[in-house]
Amino acid sequence: MDIIVLVKQVPDPEALVEIGASGKDLNIEPKFAVNLFDEFALEEALRIKEKHGGKVKALSLGGPKAMEALRTAIAMGADEAVLIEDDAYAARDGYSTALALFKALEKETFDIILTGRQAIDADRGEVPQMVSQMLGLPHVGVVVKLDISDGKAEAVSSLEGAKEVVEVALPAVFTAQKGLNEPRVPLITGVMKAMKVQIPKLTIEDLGLTKDMAAPENSKTQIVRYLPPKKRPAVQLIPGEAREAAAEAVRILVDIERVI
Amino acid sequence: MDFAFTEEQQFFKKIITDTVDRMVVPRAREIDEKDEFPWELWKEFTRLGYLGLRYPEEIGGMNADPVTAMIFYEQIARGSVGFAQSVIMNILMGTYFVYRFGSQAIKERCLYPAMRGEKIATMCFTEDQSGSDLAATRTTAVKDGNEWVINGTKMWITNGPHADIATVLATTDPSLGAKGLNFFLVEKGTPGFSPGQILDKLGCRGTVTGELVFDNVRIPEENLLGAELNKGVEYLAEILDEVRVMTAAMAMGIAQAAYDEGLEYAKKRIAFGKPIGTYQLIRAKFADMATEMEASRLLIYSAAWKIKEKLPSRLEAAMAKMFATETCLKVVDEVTRIWGANAFANEYNPQRHFRDARFLLYGGGTHEILKDFMGRMLIGK
Repeated sequence: MDIIVLVKQVPDPEALVEIGASGKDLNIEPKFAVNLFDEFALEEALRIKEKHGGKVKALSLGGPKAMEALRTAIAMGADEAVLIEDDAYAARDGYSTALALFKALEKETFDIILTGRQAIDADRGEVPQMVSQMLGLPHVGVVVKLDISDGKAEAVSSLEGAKEVVEVALPAVFTAQKGLNEPRVPLITGVMKAMKVQIPKLTIEDLGLTKDMAAPENSKTQIVRYLPPKKRPAVQLIPGEAREAAAEAVRILVDIERVI
Repeated sequence: MDFAFTEEQQFFKKIITDTVDRMVVPRAREIDEKDEFPWELWKEFTRLGYLGLRYPEEIGGMNADPVTAMIFYEQIARGSVGFAQSVIMNILMGTYFVYRFGSQAIKERCLYPAMRGEKIATMCFTEDQSGSDLAATRTTAVKDGNEWVINGTKMWITNGPHADIATVLATTDPSLGAKGLNFFLVEKGTPGFSPGQILDKLGCRGTVTGELVFDNVRIPEENLLGAELNKGVEYLAEILDEVRVMTAAMAMGIAQAAYDEGLEYAKKRIAFGKPIGTYQLIRAKFADMATEMEASRLLIYSAAWKIKEKLPSRLEAAMAKMFATETCLKVVDEVTRIWGANAFANEYNPQRHFRDARFLLYGGGTHEILKDFMGRMLIGK
C-alpha cells in the first residue's frame, strides 16, 4: 500500500501576523509548523503502512523552510520525502499549488493520497479536491475514520451534525479531519534519520511548468487586500435580574449589533 | 564566526520543543504538586530514546554533540525541571563512568537498560559534610580479596531512592585527600545498599532526592569505574565542564518558561484601561530579561562548542553556569513582580519557577566556590 502525503509548512499558530503597507501582503513572524491537519494525514498513512505494508512518501511545495516539515514527516516514520522548492510559486493561489502537486504526482505510483482537510494559514481547503480532479481520482473529504481492505477504502466523513460512510475504490484522495487519530511523537531513531537524510528537491521547471507562470498576475484568483479582524470591544456587563438582563441582551443583539 | 545552529540542530530543537510541549508541559504542575517520581511520564518519554542522547549510535545512542545536548537539556527543563533532573541524571552523570569504564558485562547489565529507561541511574557525590569539597568525602572503599567493601552515607542524591545503578564516589585512602578518590558501581539489591531519608524540597519536586546508605556493601573488583586506581578526580574532570554548562542550560529552560508566562500575562492583564505590557517599567523588565537571557545563551552555546571542539573550557563553563543561573534567578523574580499577587498563588506557575530556580544555585558548584575558582584561574594562586 503506497501512500503519498501532501504536507504544507505553515506559519506557527502563535506567529505574529501583520498586514503589509500595501495591504496586499502579510508580514508573518518566521516561526513555522507542519499544518496540523497534514499531521493527522501523515499519522494515518503511517498506521496504514504498519498494518498493510508499503511505503509512505511526503510531498511538499514551498520555500527552503518547508524542508523542516518534510524532516518532521521522516522523523515520524515516512520513508521518503520530496520538496518542490519554489517560494514564489508556493505563494500563489490554490490552483497553482494543485497544478504543481499534480505534475509531481503524475510521475509517482501510489494507492492512496492523504492530506489535511485544509491548511491552517489560508484556510481555503481547495487544493486536495483540485488535485484529485486533475488526477481523475475520487476524493473523500473531512475523514475521521479510514479502513482499507481489498483494494478499496471505507471512509467516514464528518458532516455538520452527522457522519457519512463512503466506500471508494483505490487509488483515491482523502483529506484528514481532527479526530482521525492522535499524531505520534517521533522516536529519536526517526529524529536522527530525519537530521541526516538528504531530501531531493524538484524545481517548477522539472515539472514542466515555467517561472513566469508564478507571476502573481497569472494567478486565477487575486488578493485585492487584507483586512484586519474587527477589534473586539470591551466586555459589556448587563446588570439586573436574570430575566430582565436576558431581555436586554436580546435587545442589544437584535437592535444594536444586528447579529440575530 | 558562525553563531547559528546547524540546520540539523534547528530541526532537533523544533522536535524536542514540540515533544516537551506535548508530553511534559501539561504534566509539570501535577509533578510539582505530587512530588512523586512520575513513572508514567518516565515510561512514555524514555521510550522515545532520548536517554542515549550522548552515546554512540552503535550502542543505541544518538551521538549528539555537546551543543545539541544543551538544546535538549534546556528544553526538557523548560517543561519540568523536576522531571528534567531525573532524565539528565540517566543521560549524563549517572551513566558516564559506566559507559567510560564498565566492562562489557556491566554495560549490558547496567548501561544499555539505563539508556532505554529500564534502569534508573544516579551518581553519588554529596555527603552531609562534603559537597563542593570532594576531598572531605568520608565514604570509604576497602579492598578485601577480589572485592571492594563500601561504607558511608550519601546525601542529596537525585533519583537516589529509586536508583537501580549508582556511581559512588569513595576514598580508598583518606590520607590522600582528593587523590584517594575513586568511582564504584553499586547495583540495587546488593546487600547493605539501601535508601534512607527522602528530602522534602522547596523546588525541583518530582525528582526524588534523598539519602543512600552503604553498610558493608561488597562489590566485585570490576565495579571500580576507572582504568587506574586513585584517578577519580581526573576522570570527573572529563565531564565537569559539560555538567556545569548543562546546569546553565537547565537554568535557561526555567527562565524561558517563566519569561513566556510573564510575556503572556503582560499582554493580557489590563490595568488602568491598558495591558500592563504597554507601560514603560514593565517593558524595561522584558528588555533586561531578554538581554540577559541572550547573553546567557551565548555563554552556554559557546562553552558547549568549545567542549565539542575539545578546546579549553573550564573557565567558560564556570562562567556560563554562574551567569545563566543568576539570570534565571532574576527572571523568575521579575516574572513574579509582573504577575503581582497572582504570582503568590499556588494555582499559577510563576511561584513554581521561582522555587525551582533556587536549586540550580547549588548543583554544579555554588557561585561562591565558582567565583573563587575563576578568580584563581584569572589571577593565579
